[in-house]
Amino acid sequence: MISSSPKSRENAWLWLYKIMSGLLIFFVLGLHFLVNHLVEKGGLLSYADVVHYYTNPIIPVIEVTFLVLAVSHSLIGIRSIVLDLNPSGKVLQFIDWCFIALGSAAIFYGIALVIIVVSRATGV
Amino acid sequence: MSSIRWKVTFIITRQRSKSKCYQQPFLLEVDPDEYILDCIERIWAFHDRSLTFRHACHHSTCGACGMRVNGVEKLTCITAIRSVTQDGGTVHIEPLRNFPVLSDLVVDMSTFFLRLEQVNAATVLPLQEACLPGEIKDQPVIESGQYERLVDCIECGLCISACPTALTSSSYQGPATLAAIQQGCQPGNQPFQILLADHEDGVWRCHSAYECSAVCPSNVDPAARIMNLRRRILTQHIRSLFSRQPEEAKNE
Amino acid sequence: MSNRPSPLHFWRWFDPRARQVGTWAFIINRITALGLTAYLFIHLIVLGQLALGPQYYDQFIAFAKLPVVKIGELAVLAAGIIHALNGIRVALTGLGFAVRWQKHMLYSLMCLAALGIFVVFVKLFLLD
Repeated sequence: MISSSPKSRENAWLWLYKIMSGLLIFFVLGLHFLVNHLVEKGGLLSYADVVHYYTNPIIPVIEVTFLVLAVSHSLIGIRSIVLDLNPSGKVLQFIDWCFIALGSAAIFYGIALVIIVVSRATGV
Repeated sequence: MSSIRWKVTFIITRQRSKSKCYQQPFLLEVDPDEYILDCIERIWAFHDRSLTFRHACHHSTCGACGMRVNGVEKLTCITAIRSVTQDGGTVHIEPLRNFPVLSDLVVDMSTFFLRLEQVNAATVLPLQEACLPGEIKDQPVIESGQYERLVDCIECGLCISACPTALTSSSYQGPATLAAIQQGCQPGNQPFQILLADHEDGVWRCHSAYECSAVCPSNVDPAARIMNLRRRILTQHIRSLFSRQPEEAKNE
Repeated sequence: MSNRPSPLHFWRWFDPRARQVGTWAFIINRITALGLTAYLFIHLIVLGQLALGPQYYDQFIAFAKLPVVKIGELAVLAAGIIHALNGIRVALTGLGFAVRWQKHMLYSLMCLAALGIFVVFVKLFLLD
């Protein structure tokens, strides 16, 4: 009647992380939005603007934090929706690996982008 | 009883086990202050003796007569005609959702009852634990023991029918079971029920739709109990991170 | 139509008929979550344009000024505001606080969201 999954206690922390990351995203997103659209006159509307913006070292830190939080929050959330569909243990394991792969890929990709832009900012 | 009579059409979802369901209309003349269950009984008595439905106490204590009336989960013994339709109107009657249909309006509640049994859901509790929400727990102490009270949950299953998680997941414990765990357990007491709650099919599967509390006819407020249980479980987890005792020993 | 719990019934998650306020919040949260996740990944891919160089990025910004794209942006921002504000309610009540006021919280937060969306609309379409 109840599925005796070996990971039965893990969900408490995942849920708590989802909540905490959600609340943090609220603030970091606000920051991200402010600096991307409101600080420069009219926002970051040209390639040159973006590169200039990344010369400030705090910016990559904020952006990467935001990336990690947003990707993890959204994928854990989608996982909850998938769990509602009652997948079997094996299917769930496979889906978990897909999420981990997708999430890691997105984060590495994002960090790579940041590095490229920062290198253009400092190199140029 | 007043002498007003309304003409109301009842459209009942019929189904024999394993065959397709269909809708059957019945036109009745009813007193608007009568209850839906009275009308269903009259349909059975005078129109179609093959109609199957559950009923017992007729005063919202046994939890047998739960059905969906115009899509909303209700206890039909206390749902007046007046509250769901008008003269010349239509009332759709369907069985509770998320339970297998045995026949017509009767659903298979066995898994539900077994789950409650599994968590040793209490039927009687000391008054301190069985208050209505917001009720002051300041009761006089009597020499012969404590005042006790019947627990609010009448095991009618309306909450399961309304829950969006129970809609797609048969392994979800359900609001009634989780509420029973919250009500019957004190911190450190009955740890195995907490394990059932602290599980991906337990409290963490709830998505805060609050529909269970909205349809509960008996003041159980399962949603609030689930949230309270979450807080207790999280507090326990966080405390166990900082305490040096092993987990089993923190039952104080 | 089977009455048992089944993953095939998932479309009924989004059916608000005969359901109350809390379920509407659940439906809106789920829809905005799916929409925002899709947007997140699209946004990341599009940002790859940055790495290609100035001409691609500036071209993209020109494209982003089209009205169709602006409406899409409005939708995304609206979804974000709604999901964030409702998320605060879910977080608070999920930790066991203020559960009794979940309906009131929803009403007031959605009014706030409507205000926020209006501000965004003004900024996107009426100014600039």
